[in-house]
Amino acid sequence: MSNNKLTVIDREGSTHRLEWEPDQTLMEALRDNDLPVLASCGGTASCATCHVFLEREAFDTLGERSEDELELLVEAEGYQACGSRLSCQLDFSRELNGITVTLAPED
Amino acid sequence: MHDPEANTRKPMNREAMKHELMAGPAAPVVIVGAGHSGVAVAAGLRARGWEGGILLLEAEKGTPYERPPLSKELLKDGAPDESAVLRKEKFYQDKRIDRVAGIAVDSVDRAGRTVLLSDGSRRDYHRLVIATGSRARALTVPGAALPGVQALRTRDDALELKRLLVAGARVAIIGAGYIGLEVAAAAAAKGCEVTVLEFQDRVMSRVTSAPVSHHFEQLHQRHGVRFVFSAAVTDIEGDHRAERVVTADGHVFQADVVLAGIGVVPNQELAAEAGLECRDGILVDGHGVTSDPAIYATGDVTRFTSPIDGASQRLECIQNAQAQADRVAAHITGQPAAVPEIPWFWTVQHGVRLQTAGVRRPDDDVIVRGNPAGGSFSVVYLRDGRVAAVDTIGGLADFRPARKLIARGDRMDPALAADPRVPLTEATLTGAVLNAPAPIHADPATARS
Repeated sequence: MSNNKLTVIDREGSTHRLEWEPDQTLMEALRDNDLPVLASCGGTASCATCHVFLEREAFDTLGERSEDELELLVEAEGYQACGSRLSCQLDFSRELNGITVTLAPED
Repeated sequence: MHDPEANTRKPMNREAMKHELMAGPAAPVVIVGAGHSGVAVAAGLRARGWEGGILLLEAEKGTPYERPPLSKELLKDGAPDESAVLRKEKFYQDKRIDRVAGIAVDSVDRAGRTVLLSDGSRRDYHRLVIATGSRARALTVPGAALPGVQALRTRDDALELKRLLVAGARVAIIGAGYIGLEVAAAAAAKGCEVTVLEFQDRVMSRVTSAPVSHHFEQLHQRHGVRFVFSAAVTDIEGDHRAERVVTADGHVFQADVVLAGIGVVPNQELAAEAGLECRDGILVDGHGVTSDPAIYATGDVTRFTSPIDGASQRLECIQNAQAQADRVAAHITGQPAAVPEIPWFWTVQHGVRLQTAGVRRPDDDVIVRGNPAGGSFSVVYLRDGRVAAVDTIGGLADFRPARKLIARGDRMDPALAADPRVPLTEATLTGAVLNAPAPIHADPATARS
């Protein structure tokens, strides 16, 4: 399977283009490309330091958020009901090729 | 500890940053230990534009791995034996992080800036980072060395334990802390007969309050786990394997497997033998610098002054392993570090999550928020009227607000804080602002005591 292309807007507003590899979660793709994603819990939906905003179209292709993920997101800075996700909970999928991801502000 | 500037987050101009950095000295940054903190230092150095060499040394073989799943997911029936890796092999190659796995560092020659490895070779260092972590505290009672007596710290420990936890096995767990209780839950789920022997009078007494302890005791009991409190283990008996655990009051517990979960001790020997200051942990400042300016230490192995309340502490948690690693990488590259997160901890037992923000003390005021019988509640710990820590049980709604309140040092209204219908961030005593002493400050020199 080939990589997904990914556009990332960081917290300073700069744009980065990177490759999202099939065996990475979105969080891993961000972190392994040196974007400032702390991911303190290692990808277990416990800390919300990998909070990102997705565009509505991409958001709508994804399944429901788990209860833990939603509880963390609702309290997060800048929470968007139809855009906020924990990037550690997003596995690679073809449907997400070419999406733009915005890093949420830190608390 | 921190200069004020170090806590100011500035936009980073990556090109300017790279330009400023030296191309790198001849000798690499040598990192001893590839746990969460050691790997985070290596990754952090590259993320911050470090161009010099990075050598990551690890005593265990294989790809550095995540530790939390060892006592949780990995023990489950049908779970794969590979624990999640911290970073994929390709990451180390892409980032030019050299790794040698399966090698120990025997000594440090500080004057020569060289480490001596267990294969007899020497490696020069520009900066040395000691990230040797901690090890399971060993049982010292007679019989502790018998086969069937286990600790749980490494992947090999976890795989051996997984092999021993079979349906019908009698499992005696010594110590009702995070590890002991997580293993108790895994063992019960596999149909083992589980007895937990705890010296104190309740579970997790070091890390939480009585209401939370009792909630988890009942949870375990519903899954068939038996507790024996005030139990002082004096012997482990058996001919060729562990067969019985004996306590000071003469009780005997039959056991096929004995797990000791009685805490950890820092792996500070390398530093101590090199003459670095240690006191139940390697002493470091706010940048992770030891008593030798060319040597840093980070993670479980360190002791340092809390930037929140000035207490001398060791923190055994991933949040700290990462935050200290960031400060080390920042200091080596001459950059400001990110503002450290409030320390936090988590455990999952029988599918119920206990997640704690902040560090509780036994004399904090305890406010139960919500109804434990409903399965989801929080406990707020107040110190001088301010939030010092919050436990969330079976739900995370109060977790992020808790970290904010701890960082801000707001005074709380105890009655409002006890009411789960009031958002935690609105349970503050706004009227008391004028009379309030200075809020918690990142600089311990000016922090309240």
